[in-house]
Amino acid sequence: MSSSKQALAHPASSAEAASGEQPGAARGAHGRGTPPAGPDSWRSRLYRWDMKASPYAFIAPFFIIFGAFSLVPLLYTAWYSLHNVQLSSLDTQTWAGLDNYKHLLSSDFFWNALSNTFTIGVISTVPQLMAALGLAHLLNYRLRGSTVWRVVMLTPYATSVAAATLVFTLLYSWDGGMINWFLHFVGIGPVNWRESDWGSQFAVSSIVIWRWTGYNALIYLAAMQAIPADLYESAAIDGANRWQQFRHVTVPQLRPTILFTVVVSTIGATQLFGEPLLFGGVSGSKGGSEHQYQTLGLYMYDQGWIIGNLGKASAIAWSMFLILLIVAVINLLFTRRLRKSQ
Amino acid sequence: MRTSTRRSHRLMALAAVAALTTGLLAGCSKDSDGGSSNDSGGNGKGKTTLTIGTFGVFGYKQAGLYDEYMKLHPDISIKENVTTRTDVYWPKVLTRLQAGSGTDDIQAIEVGNITEAVQTQGSKFVDLGKDVDKSQWLDWKNAQATTKDGKLIGLGTDIGPMAICYRKDLFKKAGLETDRTKLAAQWKGDWAKYVDLGKQYMKKAPSGTKYVDSASSVYNAALGGGSERYYDNSGNVVWDKSDGVKKAWDVAMTVATSNMSAKLKQFDKPWDQGYANGTFATVACPAWMIGYIEQKSGDSGKGNWDVAAAPTASNWGGSFLGVPTAGKHQKEAIALAKWLTAPEQQAKVFAKQASFPSTPSAYSTLKPAADTTAYFSNAPITQIFADSAKTIPTQYFGIKDQPINTALTDVGILQVEQKGKTPDQGWNAAKNEIKDVLGQ
Amino acid sequence: MTTSELTLPQLRKQKNQKAKRGRNRRVMGAGKQLHAGPVTYLVLTVFALLSLAPLVWTAIAASRTDHRLAETPPPLWFGGNLFKNLQAAWDQAGMGTAMFNSTVVAGTITVATVLFSTLAGFAFAKLRFRFSSVLLLLTIGTMMIPPQLAVVPLYLWMSDLGWSNQLQTVILPTLVTAFGTFFMRQYLVQALPTELIEAARVDGASSLRVVWHVVFPAARPAMAVLGLLTFVFAWNDFLWPIIALNQQNPTVQVALNSLGTGYVPDQAVIMAGALLGTLPLLIAFILFGKQIVGGIMQGAIKG
Repeated sequence: MSSSKQALAHPASSAEAASGEQPGAARGAHGRGTPPAGPDSWRSRLYRWDMKASPYAFIAPFFIIFGAFSLVPLLYTAWYSLHNVQLSSLDTQTWAGLDNYKHLLSSDFFWNALSNTFTIGVISTVPQLMAALGLAHLLNYRLRGSTVWRVVMLTPYATSVAAATLVFTLLYSWDGGMINWFLHFVGIGPVNWRESDWGSQFAVSSIVIWRWTGYNALIYLAAMQAIPADLYESAAIDGANRWQQFRHVTVPQLRPTILFTVVVSTIGATQLFGEPLLFGGVSGSKGGSEHQYQTLGLYMYDQGWIIGNLGKASAIAWSMFLILLIVAVINLLFTRRLRKSQ
Repeated sequence: MRTSTRRSHRLMALAAVAALTTGLLAGCSKDSDGGSSNDSGGNGKGKTTLTIGTFGVFGYKQAGLYDEYMKLHPDISIKENVTTRTDVYWPKVLTRLQAGSGTDDIQAIEVGNITEAVQTQGSKFVDLGKDVDKSQWLDWKNAQATTKDGKLIGLGTDIGPMAICYRKDLFKKAGLETDRTKLAAQWKGDWAKYVDLGKQYMKKAPSGTKYVDSASSVYNAALGGGSERYYDNSGNVVWDKSDGVKKAWDVAMTVATSNMSAKLKQFDKPWDQGYANGTFATVACPAWMIGYIEQKSGDSGKGNWDVAAAPTASNWGGSFLGVPTAGKHQKEAIALAKWLTAPEQQAKVFAKQASFPSTPSAYSTLKPAADTTAYFSNAPITQIFADSAKTIPTQYFGIKDQPINTALTDVGILQVEQKGKTPDQGWNAAKNEIKDVLGQ
Repeated sequence: MTTSELTLPQLRKQKNQKAKRGRNRRVMGAGKQLHAGPVTYLVLTVFALLSLAPLVWTAIAASRTDHRLAETPPPLWFGGNLFKNLQAAWDQAGMGTAMFNSTVVAGTITVATVLFSTLAGFAFAKLRFRFSSVLLLLTIGTMMIPPQLAVVPLYLWMSDLGWSNQLQTVILPTLVTAFGTFFMRQYLVQALPTELIEAARVDGASSLRVVWHVVFPAARPAMAVLGLLTFVFAWNDFLWPIIALNQQNPTVQVALNSLGTGYVPDQAVIMAGALLGTLPLLIAFILFGKQIVGGIMQGAIKG
């Protein structure tokens, strides 16, 4: 179960590291290696066999694991999604055609979960990345104890979803929670963070923001440090102040990295699950009495493991995948246009 | 309609997965699972290890029953696998039953799941009917665990007869009657009367307190006293036509739309805090909740809580013990399940944590723990619950009883109570939810 | 194929820029960095407080009683119940077993992922074989697949195999990741001189010898970073473990989940559990903070 959020969180890596060459065009050392000279023909045959087979042997573990634990299950999920599969009667699976999908399309809860996933995604991603960008900019100054600052910003990343959510749930308690207590000083009455529509979505998003801002800031910081100083110098000569330099030099230079973090966060947001589940407490899989923060991931969990309708849960999983594909296509078109415009 | 057996498809995939991974497995098979695969004579020199899967707090360990049984049977050792919540526990049990492996030797089944077990997993449980004297149990308890062809797949453990737990001190301040018998007489026969008293309470309510913890608790109590829940006797969903549901809903709506409810979600953290801070004066309490109230209210509630008979005899919750056919030690497991559910043992559990026996013969001997009695103002708890237990109507539970109930309480009622929706809106929300649950 | 489509144009662009700049490009930080003013420190302090406050407060809450946490205002300083609550979390939620299990799970996954990813990354970076580019793209593409897609069948198989609740159910699916493979490939493309491999080849070294004597030494820094990242990820993994494991044999996250959603109603104990579950990683971050930060940034820059 790789978390794509983390898995992809190395934007610039692809950007710079491979700058010498492009994927696939790697020059193979083996291809040009000379077999050891000598009459030992079995040795040279062994050598040649080794040359041919070893690359496949090296990549085999990945593809075996991927095949066994992702690809095959993925196809099975597709199969289940076309059947009526109940947790209570696994041995009889009735062909259901597209019924599960039809149910989804006509279900308010599916559309609600989709829209929640979207809004929570937006209110967790946008502030997160903007804060990360600003934070990176500040960290890019020459600081006393710069490492300490960076480590501090990264500590939320060490906290698991479960631990972070439990703490935030307590902070957000309606009655006697820290946040409502702070708010009462500025004259805001107690907010029912768990049941109100925007309040609950904000609360869930804030957990995501808290955990990932520092991490993204470091990614941006790394990319910032790769920006050549002469760009700033010439901007300064043109009379640009710091803010203008940030806007006109830093941000454009970071564009690929920003784009990448957007994609990564989008994927993470699509799969959002642990935060709303634990935030909900008892019967948390409903995501609130009005499903006000039930995400697609949560809806799937509720259908599959609480209600016991695995066929429908599978259909939800595939829908999530399809949505991601659509996002990917949009991203692709967007990148193409971006490239053309440059 | 094409029906295919899943097994053949899955076997193929399984073979593939197994072949691919056997090589990788070598180092990492740490078996600390307590499944019934545990061999006899592992480390116990000829001892048979029986595992029992439970949820919540069954109280067997707390009441020392396992130790007692192991002393009686030196060749047996018992391991309990506890999951806190039924809705997490049960799906896993379901899959393991069907996989035919990984089940415990004894599995506890909650009453909300018993029909699903009876109807879909009947063949996966041992018929216990031949091994026990069925007349020990209340008839309706046996009926719930009996399959169409007459197999008894679960032995009744506790039941959840209802009473009203109330704060004497708060009632007094509000100028209400505080005597349990007189109170019971005031609301006898109708949950609406109990709610009416709430209106009176609110007129002079001590500041910061409400009459009742939540509308859901009233709902569950009223529902448990009707004759029909969500399904009719032949297993059809009739929840929206059910008389019992409608009555319970209406009472709950009176509570939710008035100001008498503390608007808490039961078993949620604020609910616990409500006990601690004494923010509500009554709660409809099944017997198994007695211990919970005592624990949560702490010292501040001592001697202030009292117990009165509920408006109607009603049941909420209770469980069964079943023996899966996949178990390796069925004989031993049956013996243990039989022993644990016998009247004497049920009485011991009651003494420890007030889980109420499903075996009437135990009622005469029941003795609640002394401190519990004191905590609840020396109320005759046993008598009150026993009276209720004897007149509880037989209720038929359906396959999706539990998720439907969640839809009505945690969606429908909660929306009205916490979000200010109208009862109609709440009803419709629950209706949509139930549609979704039933896959309609 | 988002990733590759996204990175390819970037690669080209950056390559061009690099060419224009020449080798001696000057970079911020080479003595040209602007000094931070007081406002910067102020804002950073606010960020730092926001980052740390919830963690500190976890410890505060864990040192209090359940009743105290229900009161207003919430406690702002430590109480005296920390060890009692830690003890309770340890006993009630099985945090002891959970931490042991998480160590086993995360440790195994880390070793395997680093090893397999280095091998595969090396193959993709330096070896020539048929379909290598297609396979690489495929590898990258798999990162997009939501883990939810595999959960239903995996769960059913694991039950059929009688593996439910056993640690291998959560270890096996993550023994090697696409991310790790890609990460190592990116590093090795640059860090491993092709000449070194050729030299070893001329001496008649077998592939395994090349891996052992040339690739592993060159990849060591990246392997360390990948190891750290993998360990953090594996320790914190949530979705699959809570479905596959139960309370009897939990990982830390499963134990926290049952604490959070169960009827264990003592908030202070729950906070103590959260604290316990986070502590190992926090200690690691304090001890190796510099390396971890460096690793993440290096990962971002050099790969």
